[in-house]
Amino acid sequence: MNLGDLGNRVAVQLFKRLPWLGDAWARRRRFVESDFVPWTPMGKPVRQSVIALVTTAGVHRRADPPFDMTDPDGDPSFRVVPVDAPRGEVMITHKYYDHSAADRDLNVVLPVDRLRELQAAGHVGGVAPRVYSFMGHVDGAHVRTLMETTAPEVARRLRADGAEAVVLTPA
Amino acid sequence: MQRAIEAAGVPTIGITLQKEITRRVRPPRALYLRYPFGHPMGEAFATAQQRTILMDALGALDTLRTPGAIVEPGYRWKRHRFA
Repeated sequence: MNLGDLGNRVAVQLFKRLPWLGDAWARRRRFVESDFVPWTPMGKPVRQSVIALVTTAGVHRRADPPFDMTDPDGDPSFRVVPVDAPRGEVMITHKYYDHSAADRDLNVVLPVDRLRELQAAGHVGGVAPRVYSFMGHVDGAHVRTLMETTAPEVARRLRADGAEAVVLTPA
Repeated sequence: MQRAIEAAGVPTIGITLQKEITRRVRPPRALYLRYPFGHPMGEAFATAQQRTILMDALGALDTLRTPGAIVEPGYRWKRHRFA
């Protein structure tokens, strides 16, 4: 392990254990900000709606290429994970958070099992067939790619999948 | 991300562990938990906890009417007892 990797691992643990550090970091950074808050009303209750999951926790199928961890500006691409993919075929590539708990139980960052249980219990109308997954660390020129290309593409795919509402989970 | 999905006509709720960022990015609906990074649904194998958080998020989809609202269930990390 080189010094850069070590420094990153220390930072990951500090940000995990000291929430105020994240807020301090966030105050000094620029984000895609806006006064306009988008709003699409629910067409029908959740118990009659198809719910999709989207995550920025770096989840992907082992068979798919991992997210790019070498580019300091991150990776604006996305991966498609079938919601019923066997757990052994799914992994996480993301070095900017501690995913040791999520490695043991994917539901810590992506509640696929909980969502399917809620559907079986009648709380949710349906579960969308695919999860769309990003690696949340995106900066520099990749922000534009995410905003103008990747995110709208995923939005179109969610509609095509029949999603009627989406729950997003971060890292 | 939430903006793009809403723009396509699909309502969204985002779980967030970062209130400062959420205040600035202003997603349509958010559920804030004061949990450590990497644990938006809680602890590993804590089924009741994960189910409750997911139900909270889905419940907010049904009930929230105010764009930009942030729901705060206030669960204390590893202290709250989930039934």
